[in-house]
Amino acid sequence: MNRLVTVAEMTLRELARRRGVLLLLLLMPLTFWLIRRDSHVGQSVRALLLGISWAVSTAALFATSAARELEPRLRLAGYRPHHLYLGRMLGLWVLGLAVSVPFFLLTVVDTTNLRYGGIAVAMLCCVLVAAPFGMVIGALLPREMEGTLLLLTVVAMQMLLDPASSGAKLTPFWSSREIATWAVDHTDGGYLSRGVLHAAVVTALLIVTVAGVFGVRLRRRRHLHHAPLV
Amino acid sequence: MNADEWLRVFAAELHQRRVAVDAARHVVAEAATHLREGGGDPWLVFGAPQAYAAAIVETIGTAPGPRPGPVRLHARGITKRYGRRTVLRDATLTVRAGQIAAVVGANGCGKSTFLRICAGLISPDAGEVTVSGRLGYCPQQGGTVDFLLPDEHFVLVGAGQRMARDPARRAGRAAARQLGWEAERDVLARHLSGGTRQKLNLTMSTLAEPDVLLLDEPYQGFDQGSYVNLWDQLVRLRDEGKAIVVVTHLLNQLDRVDVVLDLTPAHQGGRS
Repeated sequence: MNRLVTVAEMTLRELARRRGVLLLLLLMPLTFWLIRRDSHVGQSVRALLLGISWAVSTAALFATSAARELEPRLRLAGYRPHHLYLGRMLGLWVLGLAVSVPFFLLTVVDTTNLRYGGIAVAMLCCVLVAAPFGMVIGALLPREMEGTLLLLTVVAMQMLLDPASSGAKLTPFWSSREIATWAVDHTDGGYLSRGVLHAAVVTALLIVTVAGVFGVRLRRRRHLHHAPLV
Repeated sequence: MNADEWLRVFAAELHQRRVAVDAARHVVAEAATHLREGGGDPWLVFGAPQAYAAAIVETIGTAPGPRPGPVRLHARGITKRYGRRTVLRDATLTVRAGQIAAVVGANGCGKSTFLRICAGLISPDAGEVTVSGRLGYCPQQGGTVDFLLPDEHFVLVGAGQRMARDPARRAGRAAARQLGWEAERDVLARHLSGGTRQKLNLTMSTLAEPDVLLLDEPYQGFDQGSYVNLWDQLVRLRDEGKAIVVVTHLLNQLDRVDVVLDLTPAHQGGRS
């Protein structure tokens, strides 16, 4: 547990010292929200959620790529793969929640007659999905350029697809849109339960994928045998 | 180089040449007294510290080196191909406790690849590696985190061995001091010079007290003093019974190692 927490702490420390990154992490959702603010309130909330998702995924992608050289030596130093990926994910979740708090307060101040608990749940789902999603891309694509382009493609799909279409349900952040609809338009509880279920399934699938990729990349190689110390 | 620096290098040279500890201390004290009482530039009085150390060794001899212990690393038949290109063919190396092995060869002959295979970071196409004890690895580049402090690196690596934070920091600073570096508390890794960053890299690899230490050109960016400190540290670790493998292209240091693996292909005049 100590190893996992140490990785989480160092991930947070590293990201917290990148002031430019932090600023952009806040700027991205804010820009999305500002652009849609004059339209229907639901549009601005959905844009805000997408901005948070994109910001946290990007941070996760770059944090994963930056740690690529370090992780093998940490593995040799006694860490197991799950300490490394779960620790990093934990750090990113905490960061994502910290980024979300001011936007939640912004929503509370700026809007009326919303289900604010639903907005909080939607933001939580965004952060929950975004961290492992960015990590999967960072782990699968070793170069940041390719990873960023893939992330851009997925988020553009998310924005452009009709949320009612079956294809939209395959996008990672569909859950936040469903929950936001429940929170803003006061629709029936099915939206909330579908959204929460989608977020839980997608998060679980992404964590399993991250575990698989890290497990393969940081595995004990068959050619290396350990003899007892004489 | 002032007198103190000269004496430090001279002492390190005597240590590396395995002069008995008491005898080395006596010789250095005599040289210091001579310089203090007679004054003058040590380079004019004694000459280069390396040459003077060599002359001392000829006169008083060296302490018998510790006998190599049990085998700590045995790599046999290592073959590695990238596409159609074979970078390693049937490479074999055995290193015992208390030995330093140098892996040498021309650029692109697979030295770093061999070391990464020994560390278990990549798989060979053929061959096996048997390691006895804990492995430590220092990569040629990377392996540090730009936005973390040296102390945080020590805590991070130490936690892998379940070390508490304070002991990890103390151990890291002590290991850094052996390399002539006082690990600054508030300087991010990205603001360290190339040589100092490499010292951090090296310190991280020795922090967990490995039995087998794999170093990939660990001296990049080092000045002369740091370079001497590095070899002093390696000899000290060897004398403590560690098995050390160093990828190096500085052939003039080979007289300080016990085993040499030359990975230069045979048609270019290589030998193993």
